Order: sequence, then C-alpha cells, then structure tokens
Amino acid sequence: MAYYDGFFDALGLREWCDQSVEAAPTSMQALLGQLGGDTDAGARGSPPFPSLDALHESCAQIPQTRDMTAGVEEAFLAARVSLKLVLDPITQPLSWMLDGALWLFTATPWFIIVPLLVALTWYVARSLGVTLFVAASFLFLGFIDHLDVALETLSIIFVCTGLSVLLGVPIGIAMSRSNTLQRMLVPVLDLLQTLPTFVYLIPLIFLFSVTESKLYGIAIILYAIVPVIRLTDLGIRLVDPDVIEAADAFGMTKRQKLWGVQLPLALPNIMAGVNQTIMMSLAMVVIASLVSAPGLGVLVLRGIRNLELGVGIVAGFGIVLLAVILDRASKAALSRIDKNKKAH
Amino acid sequence: MNTKPKVQLRGVYKIFGPRHTQMMTHVRAGLGKDALLADHAHVLGLQDINVDMQAGEITVVMGLSGSGKSTLIRHLNRLIDPTAGEILVDGEDVTKLSERDLRKLRQQKMAMVFQKFALLPHRTVLQNAATALAVQGADGTTQDREARKWLDRVGLGGYEHRFPSQLSGGMQQRVGIARALTAGTDIMLMDEAFSALDPLIRTDMQDLLLELQVELKKTIVFITHDLDEALKLADHLVILKDGAVVQQGEPQGILLNPADPYIEDFVSDINRARVLRVRSVMQPLAEASFAGEVEADDTLERLIALSGGDTTCTYRVMSEGQPIGLLDMKDLVKALVPRLSRSADQPDPV
Repeated sequence: MAYYDGFFDALGLREWCDQSVEAAPTSMQALLGQLGGDTDAGARGSPPFPSLDALHESCAQIPQTRDMTAGVEEAFLAARVSLKLVLDPITQPLSWMLDGALWLFTATPWFIIVPLLVALTWYVARSLGVTLFVAASFLFLGFIDHLDVALETLSIIFVCTGLSVLLGVPIGIAMSRSNTLQRMLVPVLDLLQTLPTFVYLIPLIFLFSVTESKLYGIAIILYAIVPVIRLTDLGIRLVDPDVIEAADAFGMTKRQKLWGVQLPLALPNIMAGVNQTIMMSLAMVVIASLVSAPGLGVLVLRGIRNLELGVGIVAGFGIVLLAVILDRASKAALSRIDKNKKAH
Repeated sequence: MNTKPKVQLRGVYKIFGPRHTQMMTHVRAGLGKDALLADHAHVLGLQDINVDMQAGEITVVMGLSGSGKSTLIRHLNRLIDPTAGEILVDGEDVTKLSERDLRKLRQQKMAMVFQKFALLPHRTVLQNAATALAVQGADGTTQDREARKWLDRVGLGGYEHRFPSQLSGGMQQRVGIARALTAGTDIMLMDEAFSALDPLIRTDMQDLLLELQVELKKTIVFITHDLDEALKLADHLVILKDGAVVQQGEPQGILLNPADPYIEDFVSDINRARVLRVRSVMQPLAEASFAGEVEADDTLERLIALSGGDTTCTYRVMSEGQPIGLLDMKDLVKALVPRLSRSADQPDPV
C-alpha cells in the first residue's frame, strides 16, 4: 500500500491506473524497501511530497522522475540528427579557425611570436608599463617551459573573443533598437550567464564529436558573448538623447547615426564588454580542457586527475598571469579611448 | 505688401498618450487640458496653434516651462509628429512627407540650435561645424571651407581643432550656431538656444544673432522663457500658455495692449523704458514747440536721458531724416506705467 492509493481510489481512477502497465524496472527505493521488509511504511507515516515517484507507487500510469529525465534525453537525441545537420556545416569554420590559430601560434618560432604579441600590446595599449609587463610575463612563462601551452590558450581566446565581438556587437545594436527584442533576449542572456559552465558541455558532446575543436569553441563563445551584447545594448541606449535628437534634426540616416554618433559614443561601454568577454573566455577555456581544449587547462586537469600538486598549481599560476596580461592590456586600451573622447 | 509666410501652422494639435487620435474628438468637443488629463490620462500638449512665420523675420515663441514651446518647435521639422493640423513650409505640408523627403527637408531647409548644445563630443569643433555638410555628402574641401568660414564669423577662428568639452558654454553654443549656419538653410530653429548661458554671455549671443540676422535675413524661430530676450529679438512674438496661443503680434503692441491678465502679469516686471520705442508711443505730427529731435527707433530710456528727466518737453520724431510724429514727455511717462486696469487688487483712485 502506498500513501496516495486512497486519492486515486476516491477519484475513481483505480482502473485507469492499473491497466496495461508494462513491468517497469524496480526502483532503488523499492528494492531498499523490500530489504527492510516494511513495504507499506509509506501508507502510515507522515505524507511524502506528492512527487512523481510517490504518485507512481500508487498509480503505475504516472511516470517516474527517471522516466522524465530519460524523456528529456530522448527528445534531445531525436532532435540531434536534424540539429547536427544544420549546426555542423555552420560551425565548421569555427573548427578551422581554432585549428588554424593553434597551428599559427605553436608553429611560429618563439623569437617571432613573442615580439609580435608584445608589439600588439603596445599598439592597443600605448602604455610602456603594460608592454614591459607583458614582455616579462612571456619571458617568464618561456623560462619555466609553459610558453607553448600558454600560447595555445591564448590562441583559443583570441579566436573566441574575436568571434564574440563580431557576433555580439550586431546583436547588441539590434537589441538597443527594439524593446521587444531586448525583452526576449535578456532572459536568454541571463540563462547563458548563470547556467553552470559544465552544463554547456553536455549537449555539445552529444552534438559534436569530442575530438572536434568547435565543441569547446562553441561552449566558450556561448559563455563569453554575454557581456559584449549587454554592454553594447547599454552603451547605445545611454548615448545622450540630445545628441541623437541633433543627429535627427540634421537629417542623418540610420546608418550615419549608427556609425557617426551611436557607436563612437558607446565605444567605452563596448570596450568594457570586450574586456569582460576576454576574462570570461579565459575562465571557460580551463573548463573546456575537459573536452579536449588544449592549453594550460590540460595541465590543471592533469594536476587534479593524477594529484600532481605542483603541475596544477604552476599551470594555475600561468592562467592567472595570462588573465592579468589580458586585463591590463584591454583596460589600457579602454582608458586610451576614454581619454580620446574626453579630449586631451 | 503682404508676402506669403515662410512657415504656417494651421490648427496644430498635439496630444501625448497611447490613444491620442481618439482623444482628438474630445478635444474638438471642447475638453480642456486638465479635464483630459483627469478623465482620460492623456496630455494635451498643443491646442489649435495657428501661427504665420514670415521669411526673414525672427519669430519668438515665449512661454513658461510646460507651456509647449519646445514641443511646438519640434513640430516644424517633425522631431515630434502632430496629432492633427497642417504645418506648411514654403507651401508644402511637412506632415505628409515620406521619411526620405523629411530627411531632405531637415538637411536642406531647416537647421536647429539646441539648448544643451548637443555637439558631438568625439568630433573636433571643425568637424562639428561641418556636420550638416557631411550628412549631405559634400566633399572634404567644401566642408572644411564652409565650416571655417562660419566658425570665423561667430568668433571661433583658431579653435577648429579643439574638442567641444574644452570650450566654455558660450563658445560651445557658438559652435552650435556655426553648425546651423554651415547647413546653409533658410530656416533656423533655436530651441532655448541661450537659456543655458550666464546673463552676460547671453547678451553677447543675442547681439551676435541680431548682427548675423541683419546680413543673412534668415527665417528664425526662437524659443525662450525669458521675456526680455523675447522682446529684444522678436519681430513677431507668440505667447504660449498651456499649449495654446494667448496672444501674438508685434512685441511693442503686446507690451502696450496685453490681451489678458496672464500677459499683463508677464509684462509688468520688465523695464518698459528699455524695451518700448519712440514710434510705439508717438502722436501724429502737429504744430508744437519742439525741445529736440529723436529717432523713431530709439528706446524711451534714451529719450529720458536726452531730456534730462524734464517731463514738460515735446520732441519731434524723425525717421530717415523726415519728421513723422511728435512725442510729449507726459505720454512717455504714461506709457511707462504697466496697464493693470483689469487686475482686481488695483484700487480705483478716488
């Protein structure tokens, strides 16, 4: 006897409940119950929460919770083939880009790639301090034999951040123009930002094979694209309405307004979004090493798996160093833009 | 000769709210601003505005905050769409223009100067002044030449490569004016253009505007809440209250014959001697012994100074070398007393 038997009897559903029930596999709870010998304890004790499992005991027609999770899985698997058919070709360039960037960063000799990256830092930041710090960090990473893996991580971040900006800024612009679109997208962005990072990986593993680099590429982009979308939207909405009115009064077209007024004035906010995006893709690239993303994350994973404490800690330190480099360089670029706008 | 007005507003109404077109029936049936807000939660922004703005004149629209004057000026280039009525610019109804034609109108016929300057902070003064030409797609040298010309004209030569934030408020508004002038339009809309400036700078800017106007003869629509400014600039003065025109006409006429207590209140505070001109209070020419001659466009203040405060004299009024009337100093003194006949708190002299 289960607790809710009486409920179904009272509704007159007993017959429906008992008809043609396939022999469902016995649940762990039932097995444990049998072991203890008190199969009808539920009928006497305090009422259990009327959950799927509890109701199933009284009425076999009600599915168990594990049937529900199995249903989610089946639905996903059913859609998988058609999803894969669409997503595979679309995302294929991502694999090429990631592989290409990885090859470029690792195949180029260190005495070329390191000066190039330092020069790039100088170009975006125009700050002697930051540039020297970046150079010193690369030399240090090279000295402790972590330069190759750090460059692998860096190449993934470059590709993913670049794509995030390329996709995120137009989405942000569209969002700033339509309140309806904003209302629709905000919950999606919230979801992307709060979903535990591991959860991204599960459906992706089913969709693509683990050996494909786009698998981690998509996971990183989905996670990191959120701030650049949000801050582009915010930045454009924060542009002084008086200035927009003036642009209208002088007969600017939508495009002239976007390129001549809205984007330049929203640039500091967009750059803050890019900075956030870089940081978030760095966070995700470590977790993505679970699905074969190369780089420092692999060493951290090795540290956890084999309990190699030193390897894990040094690799973790390398990640922190990369984070600081990227943050300082992009912040310096941001403040340069701010200063330009506010006049010298 | 009565030429065709450059800009005409015909029965323009503006109602703010989600169902503004339906509300028109209530308003036409005579529902007032307060009743509309209380019963239907819609705001009556403008009601039955009929104004003619002549080419080459400065039309000043004056009213307190909330009177609808900024709403009114934004109807002319349709930054705000009217709920009902016609707005004719050179005989063409602006309210019926397509988006494309509207852009053309804004580029070629009307330039605007804003209260908060609304300059592009990331562009230099020169680029800001050239905004209109850049929008129209003029080539770089034309943009540069025109922008420099007008920046020089408003007294900003040498500041071309500064950014707006490096300039004072008055200078920023000069850039705003140069930007409007560079557009080369017939009509200039000035929305409280000088209200954000301190009094001395404001006087400078008013003088600058009048000086430019002598030469350029543009059709200027000027919005202000300051009566002194309105009287100084206006060829045609329109006074708004609660979205309706209370009185419009030549400023001297409004000053001498205010149409209702609201305007009487308004004009009672100003220095009449400084605003009123000899021609507004003179009498027809007659035989008399003249103590001297005055120009018709001189202010009364000037004549008082001339007479040394002697109220027994009579002066001959001259215009372009010809005598056109006479002015008894007693009439002058009467004209200086604000007319408050209809005010209840003014006891009858016994």
